[in-house]
Amino acid sequence: MTPKERVLGLLKKEKIDRVPCFSGMGNVTVEGMKKYNIKFAEVHKNAEDMAKLAASTYKLYGYECAVVPFDLCLEAEALGSEINWYAHVEDNILYPTIKTKLVKAGDEVNIPDDLEERGRLPMIKEVIGLLKDDIGDEVPIGSYVLGPFTLAGQIMDLNELLKISFKRPDDVNRILTGLVDVATRVAKLEKEAGADYITIREMGAPSDVISPRMFKTLVQPHLIKTIEGIEAPRILHICGNTNPIVELMNECGADAISVDQKNDLVQTRQKIGDDTILLGNLDPYNVLVQGTVQDVENAVKDVIEKGVNGIWPGCDIWPDVPPENMKALVEATEKYGKLS
Amino acid sequence: MSEDKKKELLEELKEGVINYDEERVKKAAEEWIKNGFDANEGIFEGLAAGMEVVGDLFEKNEYFVPEVLMCADALYAGLDILRPHVKIDESKERLKGEVVIGTVEGDVHDIGKNIVKLMFETAGFTVHDLGKDVPLEKFVEEQMRTDSDIVALSAMMTTTMVGMKKVVEKIKEKNPNVLILLGGAPLSEDIAKKYGADGYAPDASNALSEALRMVSTLREMKKKGEI
Repeated sequence: MTPKERVLGLLKKEKIDRVPCFSGMGNVTVEGMKKYNIKFAEVHKNAEDMAKLAASTYKLYGYECAVVPFDLCLEAEALGSEINWYAHVEDNILYPTIKTKLVKAGDEVNIPDDLEERGRLPMIKEVIGLLKDDIGDEVPIGSYVLGPFTLAGQIMDLNELLKISFKRPDDVNRILTGLVDVATRVAKLEKEAGADYITIREMGAPSDVISPRMFKTLVQPHLIKTIEGIEAPRILHICGNTNPIVELMNECGADAISVDQKNDLVQTRQKIGDDTILLGNLDPYNVLVQGTVQDVENAVKDVIEKGVNGIWPGCDIWPDVPPENMKALVEATEKYGKLS
Repeated sequence: MSEDKKKELLEELKEGVINYDEERVKKAAEEWIKNGFDANEGIFEGLAAGMEVVGDLFEKNEYFVPEVLMCADALYAGLDILRPHVKIDESKERLKGEVVIGTVEGDVHDIGKNIVKLMFETAGFTVHDLGKDVPLEKFVEEQMRTDSDIVALSAMMTTTMVGMKKVVEKIKEKNPNVLILLGGAPLSEDIAKKYGADGYAPDASNALSEALRMVSTLREMKKKGEI
């Protein structure tokens, strides 16, 4: 099977030969940057370099996907936020961030009619097209959008957003309803450009930040609408403590759910049953970057035993990952992931 | 009579913070001053005591970030009223130490950092807050400028946590006696140690107790002439 058949087969719940080793989030590496002489701070606005770098983790290690973009500012930028690219930082890898908040917390968010023409959205379309031409026959192309609550935290002050979520939930509900449209429109653009699967990243809503009660009343309804509005397959990802909300995540209607290393997989399986495709949990820093080859192999074996359906790191892979660990990740998946 | 009133108002300050009731805290703080009670006692036995309970509730997953932020607002409302009445020499006596605090470059999340700052300030530390998305050199410069005992660094994401290692190295290179405290969601005791930090705190109340422990160790060493 090709990586594409394997990944899409998994997400469609078809029979596949082994669990795939892939992700819906960041996976570019310093090795890839070296290979093409690309600087991380400059890649976000260069379609050709972005496509090359996105494909490099597959080409170097056989990692079974290519995912764009690499940062989390795409939607906020298209809505009008100014972005800090950290172009001045020479010796450090920094992800772009949002310089100033677009609107005052609680205020109406103006969603432009020509959203798809703004910021880097036209460029992302081009990048996905380039990736399709390059490796798209055999490798699945992934893309992602932010969940409405997380996006709200990008465009308005997070402190204030969290407080008004408590004090004036009706205002927040209205804002999030608008942002569902942003998420589904961006996902549609990515899909039409050729993305094979979309991850919805709602990392602003784990139980280390908001209560499960607030998740249920304020976040979940908008996630359900977002997922409804995106063509399958869709993966819902939340990092941090998801133990109290994993059942609510499962009710959102995604084709798979993704969690990070704080999730207790065994308990999660008991709660959500065997039907749901469960991804993640593998620690992208402590194991993949800080660990040895043996640690990586053990972690792969461990998460498969505990019930994940794919080897998929719990968050973006830190680019400085040692090459031998990336190799070990893919090889251990081949070794322990056979399905008969 | 006055003791009863005092007790009653301390309870009001504390409960006002716990129940994120700014008005209740303001009213109690004003009455506290009107009665001529000691401002410092009101801050420590009332407001800070309330925030301590908030920390416990957060740890027990009864409170989450929005609740804690609202409690912090209530505490600040009380602090604004009480602080101008703190007697100068008394405040000096209570001075615990100086801290440089900030969120590392690339990270724009400052909620955790702000809560830690609040705990430090309430406990009597002098805090030099560099804000969020702070370039590495800024921490080094600010520590040198203020001769602070502690540098407290926060990171919310793995992608920015890794930058902490360099900050720790740079600060220690310039001044090996500075104590460095790390905190933030992706961190652990283990990583903090690997990065060469002196302390690690999983949350704000632990950050305060860890800072107090670090400062007393520092004072001991200074007394013994070890540094």
